[in-house]
Amino acid sequence: MTVADADRAAPPAAAEVASARTLASHQAKLLLAALGAAVAIVLIGAFTTHGFLTVANLKAILFSASFVGIAAVSATLVMISGNLFSLSLGTTISISAIAFLAALHLGLFVAIVLALLLGVAIFAIQGLVVGAWNTNSIIVTIAAGSIQLGLATKLTAGAEVTPSGNSAAYKTLGEPLLGLPFSFYVLVGLTLLLGFVLHRTSFGRLLYLMGENRAAARAAGMRIKWITAGAFALAGLAAATTGILLGAFNDTATLAAGGTYTYEAIAAALVGGNAIQGGSGSVWRAFFGAFFIAAITNLLLLRGYSTGVQELAQGIAVAIAVVLMRLFSRSSR
Amino acid sequence: MKGRREVLPFLILAVAIVCLLVLPLFSSAEITYRNGYDVLETFAEYGLLALALGLSMIAGEYDLSTASMYGLAGMVAVLTGGGSPVLGVLVALAVGLTGGLIQGTIIARLRMSSVPVTLGGFIVNLGITDVLSHSKDVSYERISVALKLDASIGGVFSLYSLIAIGGFLLIASLMRFTRLGTDIRAIGGDRGASRTAGVKVNLVLLTVFALSGIGAAAAGSLHAYSVSSALPNLGFAPLIFATIAALLGGVRLAGGRGSVLGIGAGVLSLAILQEILTTLSAPEYVANLVTGGLLLIVTIFAAPDIASWWRRQQARRRPAVEAQGPTAQAQG
Repeated sequence: MTVADADRAAPPAAAEVASARTLASHQAKLLLAALGAAVAIVLIGAFTTHGFLTVANLKAILFSASFVGIAAVSATLVMISGNLFSLSLGTTISISAIAFLAALHLGLFVAIVLALLLGVAIFAIQGLVVGAWNTNSIIVTIAAGSIQLGLATKLTAGAEVTPSGNSAAYKTLGEPLLGLPFSFYVLVGLTLLLGFVLHRTSFGRLLYLMGENRAAARAAGMRIKWITAGAFALAGLAAATTGILLGAFNDTATLAAGGTYTYEAIAAALVGGNAIQGGSGSVWRAFFGAFFIAAITNLLLLRGYSTGVQELAQGIAVAIAVVLMRLFSRSSR
Repeated sequence: MKGRREVLPFLILAVAIVCLLVLPLFSSAEITYRNGYDVLETFAEYGLLALALGLSMIAGEYDLSTASMYGLAGMVAVLTGGGSPVLGVLVALAVGLTGGLIQGTIIARLRMSSVPVTLGGFIVNLGITDVLSHSKDVSYERISVALKLDASIGGVFSLYSLIAIGGFLLIASLMRFTRLGTDIRAIGGDRGASRTAGVKVNLVLLTVFALSGIGAAAAGSLHAYSVSSALPNLGFAPLIFATIAALLGGVRLAGGRGSVLGIGAGVLSLAILQEILTTLSAPEYVANLVTGGLLLIVTIFAAPDIASWWRRQQARRRPAVEAQGPTAQAQG
């Protein structure tokens, strides 16, 4: 090959790189545009919808965002571990709410601890099954949901569960504190705690590494089984927290109580900008995603749209979020 | 080795049949033609859904949206089939095809994993079903359609189950006599290699998702007619059934392996298990536990790490045999 040949071969390669670069900046712009559009939708909706910008309504958004947010923190942990999402999150939330109310006669503190332990155990077992054999997490969580429903139906006979015992101390968990919903403080506390665990501990570092490349993590001798179980256990902790707050606020719990949280949590985690394929993302993104989802749901509610339309909006938000994240990850590679 | 894998679904089916037949020995239950009819009705209820999901699994994908397309198609068929049931089914099939094409296009063009995309589709379908039904059960006025669909033909069959069987035979011959079968397995086994080998990966993916949308819609619309009503949310029960059936039918979760007839055998095995539970009048929570537990077990067995562990065990045994071979010859 002569020098002239090599020269002739070079330009197309350079052009390719250049076009890839313009494509990348084009896609980054696209992502920014989408973010701008999302903010614009909320703002336009806020100013044109009667009753949105009132203190009472903003508190209502804060309230529902807190519940969705805590559930979304749970979904984010599963996502970071590289196992997509749990499709029985809502079921575990219901079961924790039931366990909390049923155990109240043992005292508030004991009931909280028992419900948290139950949530942690349910999730950790699934994490072990997924982590030990690289089992498909979607199907494992669906199967676990069916088993949980079966056992809970047997134990509760499908009936509504009300608080056991006479103490009404649990009611403070459902009441506002300093003007803001109690659950909001819990969300902030949990996000800070898990943010610390994820970014400042060696467990967190290992979790991100494993989520990004399971095969490499395994080759490096990481204990995949226990790291996955750990991530799921923390996700179970967040799920049970949602359940406890839900039970305390509603004064009652059924197996259907946590129904919509599965999708709302996943939607919030994704809309906040967490990548579905694992190894990246943060609980703070879920935090902000939850506020977006809560605001949109609230807007639709105020404008008189049915739960079906709210669900539809969540589905479209999920689809747009995953497609945009995909375009973004491609362009930044 | 390959042969053993392909026979397994039919072996499981045979065991299931024997279990059903010996039931009277262990309980007061009686086994008649009626049980065969029930099994085939369950086959009709979930068969085409399992086939739809199974096709996407063979292609190395997992179409979550089939679960809610099943419900959406039922709702659409009930709402639009007032004048003509055939029209209702056709509209439902068009909805299924549209949903499948949209998802297939996104997945193929952007080379995305199907799970997040079809999760979006799953929630969207649920939302549309809720909007169409105003979150209420909708009953189908033309009860005569259900009577015709479920009327017994020859003791065990019905129009309902014959349509499902016809669907299986149609897809089976499509897979066998066209390139489709080879192509779907190829892109499920190794997508990069099949692209290099000249398989039109995007076109095959689009076909798979179109077929899976149509299959789920066909199953859902006929189911709604057969029970003369459509519910706003059927939950995960249909998806659980379809996934177990596909896995029992020899479909590999990682893709690349599985056959239409295998999936059919898987559906029949699970339908028989359900019939056994019904015959023993087991409460609903037992059915939940059994199906959930079964799904967990078959998924663990389908896990890639279990398969590689098994291969390692086999490999460890094999060199030992080969090492003995030459020495034995040398001695001879």
